[in-house]
Amino acid sequence: MTAAVSISGLVKTFGSFRALDGLDLDVQEGEVHGFLGPNGAGKSTTLRILLGLLRANSGTVKLLGGDPWRDLVALHRRVAYVPGDVSIWPGLTGGEAIDLLGRLRGGQDTKRRDRLLETFELDPTKRGHTYSKGNRQKVAIVAALSSNAELLILDEPTAGLDPLMEATFREEIRHERAQGRSVLLSSHILAEVEALSDRISIIRKGKVVETGSLEQMRGHARTNVAATLADDDAQLTELPGVADLLVQGRRVHFSIDAEGLAAAMSALARHGVTALTVTPPSLEDLFLQHYGERIEPQEDDGGRPASSGAARLAVGRRRAAQDRGAQ
Amino acid sequence: MNGQLTGTGALLRHALRLDRWKLLPWLLIIGIFPMASFAAYPSVFPTQREAVVLQLSLGTNPAFSLLFGPATNLTTAIGFVTWRVQMFGMFFAALMAVFAVTRHTRTAEDSGQAELLDSGVVGRHARLASAVVLAWLASAAVGLVVGGSLTLAGAPAASAFALGSVMGGLGFAFAGVSAVTAQLGSVGRTANTLAAVVLGLCYLFRGLGDTLKDGEWLLWTSPMGWAEQIRPSSHNDYWPLALLLGFGLVTAAIGGWLSTRRDFGLGIIPGRAGPAHSRLGIWGLTARLNRGPFWTWGITFAFLGSIYGLVTTTMSSVFADNPFVKQMLAFRITSEEQLVLAFVQVLLLVLAFVGGVCGIQLALRFYAEEDERRSEWVLSGALSRLDHIAPTVFLALTVPGIGMALGSVALAATSTATGSAAKPIDVILQGLAEIPSLWLAAAVAIAAVGIAPHLRAIAWLVLVYWLLMTLFGPILKAPDWMLNTSPFHAVPQVTAPNPDFAPLWITAAIAVALVAAGLVGYRRRDLVCT
Repeated sequence: MTAAVSISGLVKTFGSFRALDGLDLDVQEGEVHGFLGPNGAGKSTTLRILLGLLRANSGTVKLLGGDPWRDLVALHRRVAYVPGDVSIWPGLTGGEAIDLLGRLRGGQDTKRRDRLLETFELDPTKRGHTYSKGNRQKVAIVAALSSNAELLILDEPTAGLDPLMEATFREEIRHERAQGRSVLLSSHILAEVEALSDRISIIRKGKVVETGSLEQMRGHARTNVAATLADDDAQLTELPGVADLLVQGRRVHFSIDAEGLAAAMSALARHGVTALTVTPPSLEDLFLQHYGERIEPQEDDGGRPASSGAARLAVGRRRAAQDRGAQ
Repeated sequence: MNGQLTGTGALLRHALRLDRWKLLPWLLIIGIFPMASFAAYPSVFPTQREAVVLQLSLGTNPAFSLLFGPATNLTTAIGFVTWRVQMFGMFFAALMAVFAVTRHTRTAEDSGQAELLDSGVVGRHARLASAVVLAWLASAAVGLVVGGSLTLAGAPAASAFALGSVMGGLGFAFAGVSAVTAQLGSVGRTANTLAAVVLGLCYLFRGLGDTLKDGEWLLWTSPMGWAEQIRPSSHNDYWPLALLLGFGLVTAAIGGWLSTRRDFGLGIIPGRAGPAHSRLGIWGLTARLNRGPFWTWGITFAFLGSIYGLVTTTMSSVFADNPFVKQMLAFRITSEEQLVLAFVQVLLLVLAFVGGVCGIQLALRFYAEEDERRSEWVLSGALSRLDHIAPTVFLALTVPGIGMALGSVALAATSTATGSAAKPIDVILQGLAEIPSLWLAAAVAIAAVGIAPHLRAIAWLVLVYWLLMTLFGPILKAPDWMLNTSPFHAVPQVTAPNPDFAPLWITAAIAVALVAAGLVGYRRRDLVCT
């Protein structure tokens, strides 16, 4: 397999501000690659350098085997882009903007265009200034997906879309992936990245701090454990690798690294465990570990079986919201 | 009012905070020019006699009345300042007010900021009211700054504040005009354009009122005419100011009433559904984006050309005994035909200035696309930076030239039809001789956009400098080398026995170099991503 995107040691400065500080990123051909980070971490800057809009200060950048600055025209026939904040010409209709982009890229699949307009419930005859944020986003998504591009570069594509349309978008991306297209999906919506991505890179302050599939990332991350015990005199602090310990009577919560898991399980068994939930770290946990924050475990979902990643994240977010509300 | 204005104060404070740095440059520019002229007066006219001579010639020269208003009292410094800056000050104050109102009403709705503010505890008319009051405060500040600074510099307070009221009063009136146009247009740009058209018409009616025989009633047809009737230093009549204030209040109220008959984010002039398909490429897109300006400019040139042509004829008799024009152009003038042509040259200079504005605007439009983040999207298509900017360069270099040709032909046609002594072909050739200067103006803007878009305002400064240097440089006795820094000044008189066309080639060559620099710069620089 060749790489659709291959970046190493990329540095980009704006004045004295170092937006990218030795960034490495690889997107394999045919994969959906999640590019995860909060606002200001350097996601958009990376994508703009990939598109030849900005010039790198140093480092090597390869896009579909070419140089994004030098071979721009040839490369852009094979790439489609959804900008992070779509702005549409006030006097042009959405349909006109879609056709314009298709034409500039050197061709679009009109059948797919019409199907996508229907799927996304977008009226192509409205003028640019009458579209809402979500609808502007849809115009850019339809324009990109109706191309015959090998690589889709999407910068927070679902910002402003309602949940139904987000689901539609995910379906379409899966469809694109099945057709063998590569996707570089920048986002700060963890559920979206978790649901779609084959591999994920987490960016922090202009550097990729972790990259791999979700499974690989979980391999060397901490596991959350919630248990109800028969007695209340368990001395869990002495277990190797335990952190975030919270004891409320007979209920205990803690996180533990992979090496300490076996010892912890036998300790729990010794104290007559009556209910047990072992949750692999969610993407949110992984993400927050890199950003120096934690979600305090709460007691009320101790007996709940682990559900899908998305649902778990939703719970996690609710918990975080409750925490904030309580403070 | 049932709380329809609730929250106006809070919104006003918010708007003031947002606009501090936007309004300050306007105030400074409007304030500095009167001061500079006032300070220059003693050195321009060391003795009273020279001032009287100028008064005699300018007072009877309709070309200058048409452009700058009548010179009623040039024997005092404040009278001279009034004549020199009042048109300019009125224009700037009105535009300042228009932009401020549109920015906080129409444009804020386009960008979504208004939605955020309107969701708070604010009455239905609060946002419009706060925008208009902001513009009124800024207009009052203009009046006070101009009046106060001139008084401090030693001008009679009554005259100084009368001049301040001319400018501030027109700003006040146009805040109201803009409150109306903001309800009509369905985007900010449309609203601004409509208000600017009203301003242009006012300038035209006022100009005709000052020049045409028995045309004084025309002065009462527009706010600009009313403002002029204040006549600082010669009359100091403050009551037209009441007319301006009343006009501002009434139009603002009409704007408020209109705002209740339209939907949020839409204008009274409705946006229609458009085609679902297009065959636009980058050339088509650029043409499409500039279609509105193209027609506006075309009409402006044809219109101004025709009007100026009509005026040239009524001038002929005045010229016969105009000492100023004779003094200014004595060495060239040997016949009435040449005299008329000399006057036509001044009119063509104004057309050329309009052409410069047109070229610069077309070039800067390109940067607006980048600033509004649409270039980023377009450039993700398979086109190079050169492909992207080429249509703009083409338009910015050709459209002003076409406009200039159109205006010159119109001027030649109407002046010939009304019996002017100048040959139409000479008028047209003289007009075409201005075209390299227009290329240079557009080229400055293209270079700025290509190399350093944050410095793009330089293009406007350069153009204004050229105009002021060409019009006032000779009167202020500037040295030749300084006069020649304006390409307008370097344009030869085509009817001269041996016209020297070398300056045109030099101007064109500099323009080519600047365009090339702009293209290279745009190819090499980062896109501005906000």
